[in-house]
Formats: sequence, structure tokens, C-alpha cells
Amino acid sequence: MKPLIPPPVAAETWRYPKPYGLKTLILSLMAMFVLWQTAVRVELPKAVALTAEAVGSVFGSGAESQVAKGFATVAGQLFPLEMSERVEVSRIENFDRENLPAFSYIEHETTEVETLNPDTLEVEAATETTEILVKPYGYLMTVGVKMLETLEIALWGTILAVILGLPLALLGASNLAPNRWVQGLSRSVVSLLRAVPELISALFLVLAYGFGPMAGILALALHAAGFFGKFYADDIEAADPKPQEALRAIGAGCLKVFRHAILPMVWPNYIASTLYILDRNVRMATVIGLVGAGGIGQELKGRYDMYDYGHVGTILVAIFVLVLILEQISVRLRKHYL
Amino acid sequence: MIRFEAVSQTHSCGTQALKNISLTIPAGQVCVLLGPSGAGKSSLLRCVNGLNQPTAGKVFVGDIEITPRNLKTIRPNIGMIHQAFNLTTRATVAANVIAGALPAVPTLPALFNLFPREHQAKVCELLDRVGLSEAHLTRRVSELSGGQQQRVGIARAFMLDPAIILADEPVASLDPAVSEDILALLVREARARGATVLCSLHQLDLARQFADRIVALKSGELVFDGPPADLTPDACARIYQTPGIPALQPEPA
Repeated sequence: MKPLIPPPVAAETWRYPKPYGLKTLILSLMAMFVLWQTAVRVELPKAVALTAEAVGSVFGSGAESQVAKGFATVAGQLFPLEMSERVEVSRIENFDRENLPAFSYIEHETTEVETLNPDTLEVEAATETTEILVKPYGYLMTVGVKMLETLEIALWGTILAVILGLPLALLGASNLAPNRWVQGLSRSVVSLLRAVPELISALFLVLAYGFGPMAGILALALHAAGFFGKFYADDIEAADPKPQEALRAIGAGCLKVFRHAILPMVWPNYIASTLYILDRNVRMATVIGLVGAGGIGQELKGRYDMYDYGHVGTILVAIFVLVLILEQISVRLRKHYL
Repeated sequence: MIRFEAVSQTHSCGTQALKNISLTIPAGQVCVLLGPSGAGKSSLLRCVNGLNQPTAGKVFVGDIEITPRNLKTIRPNIGMIHQAFNLTTRATVAANVIAGALPAVPTLPALFNLFPREHQAKVCELLDRVGLSEAHLTRRVSELSGGQQQRVGIARAFMLDPAIILADEPVASLDPAVSEDILALLVREARARGATVLCSLHQLDLARQFADRIVALKSGELVFDGPPADLTPDACARIYQTPGIPALQPEPA
């Protein structure tokens, strides 16, 4: 009787392609060599050694560590966090002693002052008392207001970026662009917008629009429009072409095809990338304040320059909490929409 | 009426998809295109609404020659049904069907998804005729079965009451029973409106059952043209067999 399955021929004579060849090996060795060279140039081995030393000193190896000392100094200056606000009563106009703001109280501060008596020409010691209004959580309020401004800057930066980026994306997507010149132009504008960091454009926008949130919003919007112009366009190009063909076949124009055959398909991606940019803008909005573009960053820079490290600590913790909360919100939104 | 005059098409890679096809399909006829894969059925179909530009020859719809310039005005009169349904799967059934009326709506309202009341009424009417219910209106297309999706595709194609329906292997991915239902539905709706149908198929039995006329292509050439009664086993062999390559024999036990 003949066997049901014919004897193996192909299995013995054919050769299955190898997963890796000599070329791959040589290329990866070369890549490793180049990477090692650059690591040495940027002092990466030294960073690893210093970190190891710091960890060792914390766990009691006895060795002196410059890094650990640095961290200790920073922590010592940031903590305790400063949450109160102190104002001299004499500086407050129309001060109403009967109706103090909630939680606040008046502190008396006495200072020894040495004055020269013009009659006797002798130095006399005297005590001067200043009344100070202490609001125990006053600085938290200030930080809160500035945080709100930061959020508003991020929100409007994102909204303006969508308004600016979406048309650029439509013109820059190969399947919607009217011709290759327009597509190329749009893609170049988008790359240019993305190439200028917020911090740099904020520097110049502050010169043009003055200190405050306006410059911040515009700086964020321009940079984020560069991101949206790319993300949205890439999503449009990657969208399923079949529904687009169906609507083109009955004579629908580009905008209608986008609205009815592309947008519903790419909607989850648009939500995801918009949320990502909003998240990024909140973080960037805290940074661009450093150059005077409004928000918490401006407050941070001011306090830092006045060596109020306790206040700086409060601001840093507030930023951290805000980013954490936003992360939770965006995770929830994503779960809901995707 | 559709008229092909000496239509040829060469792809950019050099393969000739259509070789000098001349054919007239009178108004109201249901014409089925047969032929092996790669014979040029889709290419010929897509010449009618300009999704393909023939490299030589002319295509007329009614008395008007199809040119890149008048495509936009002619296309709303030509409905199309696709092999892969080509629906916006993440959108609702209602949104997909009403999208069939897009050429008749100004751009601005269309962008805000605002359609006139008569179009909304027509969607309901058509969905009822293709055998779907009111509950389907708000369902996502991706939740429907293949047969239901093609019903949505047919409803979309008839939104503007086109004079011509092009169907590119409308039942290729459906099981035999559903295929028959879908084709019956398509032909019934087309005949009710007096629309001309050009439909490519792979199922000979369905072709015999529904066609007024059968046209067969092979390697881009017209090899058969006649009523379903003329489609003898001999003719089928001529259409589908490739000379020189014997049919695959079952392995001897």
C-alpha cells in the first residue's frame, strides 16, 4: 500500500531562510561601538559611577558623595513647604481689624532697633513692634489661582492648535491634498512649527505681546499645531481607503469625504493625540512661565530669584499633584472614548 | 445606457487589463460580468464612473462621454456597490446610508452632519426595503453581519435614485443563501427604478438566475456575450480554463 503522505522531498532539499546573517552581526557590532563612543563623550560612565557612589553613601558605605550632598542641600531648602502669606498690616489699605479674612490672625513681631539720638549723640536701643497679618493658607490660594491660569493657558493653547493644525493636516495628507505642491508646502509649515520649541518662541512672543498669558497661549498653540498637523495628517493617510473610495465614486468632494468617511474612522486616534497634546501643554505651560509667559512658571521664577525656596517647594509639589490628577482624568477619558 | 467604445486599459506596470472592449448595455438591463480573477471585470466597471481612466477608447453614460471634467456631475447618477462593502464601519447605519446623498447636499451642512428631512425619510424608507429595522439606524456598521452590511451598502447606493448601478462582486464574501437574497434585493430595487445594472460575479448559478444578459471577459478580452440560456458548460469551460495548465488532480489514495 502506498503511504498517504508522499515522502518528504522539499523538507530535505529546500533551505529555510536564516533569521540573522553576517551582515546583521557586523552592523549591530558597529552600532554598539558608535553608541559606546557617544556615551563616553557625554560622560555617561561618570554619571553611573557618581550615582552608584551616592546610593552607597546613603546605605552607609562611609564614602563621601558629592551627589548625595547636593540632593540633601536642595531638600533642606525646599522643605518645609511654605504655605502661609505674611503681610505687614501697615501696608494694607483700609485695614479692618474687626473683620479679618478666614483663618487669619495678627502676629506681633518685635525687632531690636539701634538708633542714634540726635540730642545726646548716643546710640540707644529700642524695640519696635510691627503688626503682621498671617494667612496660614494664603500662599496656597495664590498658587491655586496661578495653577488655574496655567490650565487655561494649556487649554486655549490646545484649542487654538486644533483650529490651526486641522486645516494644515487636511492639506498635508496625500489622499486629501489638492496637489503635491500644496501638500509639500503644508508639510513644511508643519515641520517648521514643530521645529521651534515653545520656550524659544515664548521668549520672542513675550517681547511682542508683553508679559502674561497671551504670549504663553500663542507659543503653545504654534508648537502644538505642528504636532496636530503631523498626527492628524498621518492618521488621515493611514485610514481605511475603502469608505473613501465609496464616497468619491458617487461624486462627494474632499471635505465631505473627510467628514463622512475618514473622521469617524480616525476619531479614537484624534481623541488620543489631542489628549496627549493637552497633557503635554499643561506641563509646558508650567515651564514657559519661566520666560514670563504667565502661569505658575512666572511665579516659580519670581520666588526662585528671591531665594524663597520654601515657596518654590510648594509650587513644585502643586505641579506634581496637578499632572497626576490630569493623568487620571485623561486615562478615564481614553477608556470612555476608545 | 452604458456604451464602451474600443476601451483599452494598460496599468502603469505594463499589464493590459482591457483590450479593445466595445459593448452597449441598454437602459434597464441587468448585465452580469463573468470571468476569472484578473480578467478585467473590475477595471471595466470602474471605467464607468471614472475610478479608472481608460488609456484608449471612450465610455458613454447616456449620451455623455465620461471625461475627468464632467465626472463630478455624472457620478451622482451612478450608484456603486462594493465587494468589501466599503462602509464607514465605525459610523452608524443611518450615517452610512445618508452619506449616499452627500453629492446632493451643500458642503457646509454636510460638514455639520445636517441633512434635509426628505433625505432622512428616504434613509428610513430604503432601510425598510432592504430588510433592516428602525433599531438598526443607530447601530454601528461594525456590529452587523456581512449580509446586513451589504444591505446597508445597497441602501446607500440607491439614496439618489441613480440611473446606473455598478456592483463589483457584491456577494463575493457572503455565503450562498445570503448571496441569493442580496442579489434578489439588488435586482428588485434596480428594476423598480428602471436602473441599468452592471454587476460582476463569480457564481455561475446566480448569474443565470438574475441576469438579462451575460458578458464574460478573459485576460481583458470579450469572450462571451449573450442571454443566460446560451451559457452552456462548453462556454463556461472556454471562459474559465487556462490553456496549457491542467486542472489540479486529486492525489491518488
